[in-house]
Amino acid sequence: MTDSIDRRRFLKVLGVTGAGAAALSSCGIGPEPTEKLIPYLIQPEDQIPGTATYYATTCRECAAGCGVQVRVREGRAVKLEGNPDSPINRGRLCARGQAAIQGLYNPDRLTRPMVRNATGTFEAIDWDGAMQRLSAKVAAARGKGIVFLTGAEQSSFGDLVDEWTAQVGGRRLSYEPFGFEALRAGNRMAFGTAALPTYDFANAKYLLSFGADFLDTWLSPVEFQNGFSRSHAFDAGRPASMAKFVYVGPRLSLTGMNADEWIAARAGTEGTLALAMAQVIVSQRLAKVPADASRLAGLLARHTPRAVAEVTGVEQAAIVRLATEFANSKGGLAIAGGMAAQYPNGAEIVAAVNILNYAAGAVGSLVKFGADLAIGRTNTFADLASLISDMAAGKVALLFVYGANPAYSLPGAFPQALGKVGYKVSFSSYMDETAAACDLILPDHHPLEQWGDSRPRAGVIALQQPVVQPVFDTRHTGDVVLRLAGRPGTFQDYVQSKWRARQKTNFDQQWMDALARGGVYAESPPATRAVRLAASLDSIGAAAPAASAAQDQEVIVFPHPVLHDGRGANKPWLQELPDPVSKIAWHSWVEVHPDTAAKWGLATGDFLLLKSPFGAQKFPAWITRSVRPDVLAVPTGQGHSAYGRYAQDRSANAFELLGTQVNSYGGRTFAVRASATKTGEHRKIVTTEGSPRERGRGTVEVLGLARAKGLHAGDHPFHYEETPEYASGAVEWWGERQHEKASIGNYQGDHPRWGLAIDLSKCTGCAACVTACYAENNLATVGEQLMQRGREMSWMRLERYWLTDEKGEPQGAVNSPMLCQQCGNAPCEPVCPVFAAYHTPDGLNGQVYNRCVGTRYCSNNCPYKVRYFNWFNYAERGGEWEAWPEPLSMLLNPDVTVREKGVMEKCTFCVQRIRGAQNQARLQDRNVRDGDIMTACQQTCPSEAIVFGDLNDRHSRVYELAGNPRGYHVLAGLNTKPAITYLARVVAQETPSHG
Amino acid sequence: MVLWILASLLPPAVVFGQQAQPASQRYRAPVVNDTGSLKGPRQPIFFRHDIHAGQDQIPCMYCHSSAAVSSEPGLPSLQTCFGCHQVVGGSTPSHQAEIKKVRDAWRDKKPPEWVRIHALPGFARFPHMRHIKALGAQSCTTCHGDVQHMPQVYQVTTLRMGWCVRCHVEHKVTRDCSVCHY
Amino acid sequence: MAEARTSTRLTYDYVTRTIARTLGAPTRGYFLLLGAAVGLLGIGIITLLFLLRYGLGLAGYSHPVYWAVFITCFVFWVGIAHSGTLISAILFLFRSGWRTAVYRTAEAMTVFAVMTAGLFPLIHIGRQWYFYWLIPYPNERGLWPNFKSPLIWDEFAIGTYFTVSTVFLIMGLIPDIAAVRDLATGWRRKLYGITSLGWTGANEQWRHYTRGYLYLAALATPLVLSVHSVVSWDFAMALVPGWHATLFAPYFVAGAIYSGVGLVITLLVPIRRLFHLEEIITVDHFENLAKLCLLTGSIVSFSYLTENFVAWFSGNAAERAAFWYRAFGPYWWASWTMNICNGLLPWLLWSKKVRTNITALFVISIFVNIGMWFERYVIIVVSLAGEPFEPWANAVYNPTWADWGIMAGSFGWFFMWFLLFVKNFPAVSISEVKEVLPPPRSKAAKVRA
Repeated sequence: MTDSIDRRRFLKVLGVTGAGAAALSSCGIGPEPTEKLIPYLIQPEDQIPGTATYYATTCRECAAGCGVQVRVREGRAVKLEGNPDSPINRGRLCARGQAAIQGLYNPDRLTRPMVRNATGTFEAIDWDGAMQRLSAKVAAARGKGIVFLTGAEQSSFGDLVDEWTAQVGGRRLSYEPFGFEALRAGNRMAFGTAALPTYDFANAKYLLSFGADFLDTWLSPVEFQNGFSRSHAFDAGRPASMAKFVYVGPRLSLTGMNADEWIAARAGTEGTLALAMAQVIVSQRLAKVPADASRLAGLLARHTPRAVAEVTGVEQAAIVRLATEFANSKGGLAIAGGMAAQYPNGAEIVAAVNILNYAAGAVGSLVKFGADLAIGRTNTFADLASLISDMAAGKVALLFVYGANPAYSLPGAFPQALGKVGYKVSFSSYMDETAAACDLILPDHHPLEQWGDSRPRAGVIALQQPVVQPVFDTRHTGDVVLRLAGRPGTFQDYVQSKWRARQKTNFDQQWMDALARGGVYAESPPATRAVRLAASLDSIGAAAPAASAAQDQEVIVFPHPVLHDGRGANKPWLQELPDPVSKIAWHSWVEVHPDTAAKWGLATGDFLLLKSPFGAQKFPAWITRSVRPDVLAVPTGQGHSAYGRYAQDRSANAFELLGTQVNSYGGRTFAVRASATKTGEHRKIVTTEGSPRERGRGTVEVLGLARAKGLHAGDHPFHYEETPEYASGAVEWWGERQHEKASIGNYQGDHPRWGLAIDLSKCTGCAACVTACYAENNLATVGEQLMQRGREMSWMRLERYWLTDEKGEPQGAVNSPMLCQQCGNAPCEPVCPVFAAYHTPDGLNGQVYNRCVGTRYCSNNCPYKVRYFNWFNYAERGGEWEAWPEPLSMLLNPDVTVREKGVMEKCTFCVQRIRGAQNQARLQDRNVRDGDIMTACQQTCPSEAIVFGDLNDRHSRVYELAGNPRGYHVLAGLNTKPAITYLARVVAQETPSHG
Repeated sequence: MVLWILASLLPPAVVFGQQAQPASQRYRAPVVNDTGSLKGPRQPIFFRHDIHAGQDQIPCMYCHSSAAVSSEPGLPSLQTCFGCHQVVGGSTPSHQAEIKKVRDAWRDKKPPEWVRIHALPGFARFPHMRHIKALGAQSCTTCHGDVQHMPQVYQVTTLRMGWCVRCHVEHKVTRDCSVCHY
Repeated sequence: MAEARTSTRLTYDYVTRTIARTLGAPTRGYFLLLGAAVGLLGIGIITLLFLLRYGLGLAGYSHPVYWAVFITCFVFWVGIAHSGTLISAILFLFRSGWRTAVYRTAEAMTVFAVMTAGLFPLIHIGRQWYFYWLIPYPNERGLWPNFKSPLIWDEFAIGTYFTVSTVFLIMGLIPDIAAVRDLATGWRRKLYGITSLGWTGANEQWRHYTRGYLYLAALATPLVLSVHSVVSWDFAMALVPGWHATLFAPYFVAGAIYSGVGLVITLLVPIRRLFHLEEIITVDHFENLAKLCLLTGSIVSFSYLTENFVAWFSGNAAERAAFWYRAFGPYWWASWTMNICNGLLPWLLWSKKVRTNITALFVISIFVNIGMWFERYVIIVVSLAGEPFEPWANAVYNPTWADWGIMAGSFGWFFMWFLLFVKNFPAVSISEVKEVLPPPRSKAAKVRA
């Protein structure tokens, strides 16, 4: 682990570009004496030096199975981008997907097999030695219990393991910390099927989420977000214009803060609320109720709005209103999941919501059974629990762990049981908690280095191909298993044989297609399977949990939007990415309502000691109105005791608070009652949140739905923000003079004016764009200590301003990506004494790093505050603030200069992509076409909120959007003439207020 | 134009006493007895551009294949070298000795580590294809000098910003900073 | 201003000897002071080495506060410089005789203060080793500095100011050096011999000298107004609320003189005590300085009021927010220090008792300096911290050891030069003091207008 790859191999990987992305500090001309150029032995025919090659493969950061295209330069993977061919993510990617590459080049990867020696410490071992030991162990353990524990694996690898475990009389178990037992149980209760449906967000006209965080962590976030933006975003073209989104839950998650209305029902009573709504719909015949719905009568009778108003804490009138809106929309879609599916009564809640959908006629139209989502098909938590007891009972002689880290997500129970296992083998690429407790570690290739496939759902088989040669001396676990099974060939052959079996005729052709397109995708979505109400509905509608006892607090543990179950914690991009809701980075927190905080005399940053029956942990408080007063909410993801320099010993592990007993539906409960005591400690938690209120400065604009519908082309609802009448004359005159000045030298003739349009009613604040920007533009991660001083380099920041109702309670938030506005009349330019900040002919605010002396005047004069300064040399090898310890430096984009200390930097509209496109266009003797250039943020945005293009091109999309009546320019009153047009957020309620 | 710049830049010594000749007449590479006296850094293999490019008239882009299509000209892979030298063994003992190095390198799968001669700082972008597209395939000499006549390659132009700007001014092409610096 | 009456017992001879005495063998106290100054300078140099090695990040900067203590000190020192030229040049043109006793000190202070201020722009930039890119010089790249940038204006303003005030100081010194040359011995005699440029005191020389001095004074006078106006435009030209005000030039000039006079008093009091110059630098001199303080101080306080009034009157949300943040935001303590020290304190000077009480003046002058430092701190840091345009981008800034280290260094640097000066050159102008004395053998002491 400590010794990194030697320079020679490093350079060979780099191919011909010498130092790769050369740093700004490598000044002067002529060769640095040490610099060597090492040619390829054999030139890979598909690689041109200095030109990127794209390989299609599959993202394995979660089980959603998004397709990705990996940009490879001289043998180095430098960027991941969504694969447009994939029907799941449609060319889009989330922050976690973007950061996968930091797993590939992670400085804490295991470089070779490790074995625990007599003294109990790990020592390196060569592969042959390791394989011999392993074979011996397998032979010895036959019949004594061999278990192979994997993550969600609906793949050829999973099949192989199944075959092999069968062969040696063992079994395979798949485990995801955040399982979906409740969904399956709930579906069984209501419809008698355990399958997971797909949800047609795109065509919904009214969205009602019962805790399902489908925008951040639930099932297939990128796909759902893309669909969600299609239905929920305001679009004057569509009759419905926009689907109202109501979120029911005890706290506002990333998904919740995109809601138009927040119903903070008491935790655990979501189901009751759903049934009450169904009761209203059925009793008032608001929808064409299916014939067999009569069987619901008895159940619904027990759930009249009046009856449930008390227990849910939602007024009767509100329940009726919601039910009416839901039914009248003629396209209501209710989704249950996330937190709601992790209470002890999660299954009942899911079943209840199913019934609501059924009563409203959404089942079959918007909720489609048939394409069974793979991620749901892991073993249940009950299975894992039984494994643990087997282990504890010494019934497991040999345990393999692959793609899972149960020692972290099941602290206490699992490690203890692990101690009783005869021999433990980990295939982890990193020294995570589980690997650290094993006897033998056989590091697997990173998904970007290996062959493989996955079947995220019926009709989609995503193919995985190695896009770079292995960075370290690792080996594909598939090959290891094949060796153990004594079978010939490599895992690649195995995958191909599987595919050949599926594809009888012209296999090779289909294989090449799959390689090019990233998999095989069925032309039409799988047939929708009709479902009817289950035979017995008695189990549904069990009473909500008892009201809170004495001192104890309801504590809910939710998955962190980007660190998720902790697997993201070793990637600096994800650690430095502020949580979309709390804006807290590098640390965990507990969400406390101001009233509760006042009761306990808490301030943000004060530590709370949470003591549950299962464990105690300390978290700094984040005081917010986005959580119910009777609930405390804690994210998972932090508090690793191993897992590399970025994750280890950082904050506390929320899983410690949870029990490991199985609940009624065979799942794990993520809500506990715990005592909360103020410890007196305080921490300056890193938050990028400035003022949570926008204070009417015109940074973000919000329109009521009716108002937005009333807008016609040519309207300027935000005209008052532009130059005031009395000044316009002077401004025009001044503009003219400027124009004359700007028509000499390079500025002669016609040039494009690059511009961006950002639709705030599409933006969900998921922060994929931020990470994409880090990846594309070599942004340094500065770490917690410097971030506390506001030294983060994030060229693009997401500003989250709460939308509040008349009582000041948050009803969701509006997110505004703030980046360099590339002003036409930029305040930063005239003040730079050396022309480092200057205006390019194509309308960018150029920033010439190598000319910058660092007076920082430009930043002072920038009203948007989007310029960031290199306070230290983040590229310094072995420096205190090194951002890219080897081999992390391999992911640096060779087309972008790595900035030296003392230099100002900012968003460039991905100028390297612009120049690249222009070069290509010139070679083909044509002009750049609209769509040739995509900025990194636009490319990745799952909700397609960002559009880049030439504002001088009358036919470009961005030109059209810039003319949209919803469009406005931030701080237009300053006459900065920004190139970024924001399209106002539209909210369903008529009197939007923001701060 | 190109030749004009060339003439203005190259002292006669550069081309070993003889003036650069039009490509039509055959050029014979001189016999080099004292390699120590040659300009430029010593390379692991004494590869003679003057023989390959000058005498044998092998076009630059035969080896530096991506120069016309990519920002990087690229180095020939060892395979490319061996492609010819499988057959071509060299006429003189000294040549044979050097060619043997190539064959050995191919045998041991150990590509030679060439010493870099022409390097731009990391913050300057030079898309080769744009320049070749504009100035033609013969224009390499503009910056790299009369390599066809160099037994051992060395840097003849400063490759400083002033050098770039001057040419851009003469050709009346953009001098916008963000064309090269980003 | 009322003419300061120097005591009648004074004779030419007495003046020469008293002032020459200041150049006598240094005492232990002097060496202690000098040691302290050099020590501070050492701290500053070490800090600077750290900044160069690791980067400006060692200072407390925090987005969006990208200018802080360094620029505060820069403006502070430039401000200090002004009173010198004012007293030496402008009062000279006004023929106010009382300046004679104090102008040398003030002027030396000017030169050293500019020398100090000039360092900060170099220290505070991110890549100090490229500072010369700010200077226009022909180069192969065809690159020039941006003459639109107020920073370039600064460079020229400060440069000119430094040159002129230095020449002015040296010129004024010539006759005095000559005077002490005749008393000096050893290496000093040589030094003075050279620096007095062969001054014999012949009528011819005096005639040319006084003419030249007059012209230089005329030349220096506009600089007093121009330099700090230009400095103020570093801020006034930017659109930051709290910076972007047409008032800034006069406001800054007044403030500069105010702080300058403050420091003159702070320096004169100990010098007068240590070198026993009570006879020459009399209470009347201090009273006049105090009056100058009162005047400029009042202008400053008026500017404060105007600023806040305009912020409210403009109705501009950003402006209002900025000034509200100033007064009641997390930096309230800084703004109120400034308001009290610069706004209220000078009003004490209305009373003659205070004006003529050296101790009181000394104490007040200290507070004036503190107040004026905080004024710059408030204008620069607080205006940037409470970012009113973009509510999301606001920060709370705290200086670190690096900020204080460099600041300490600047004081060390200044006082080192100053102490060396007063020991080696007449800190009070011999010749000009004599000018205002009654000529020998005349009865009544009458003072030239």
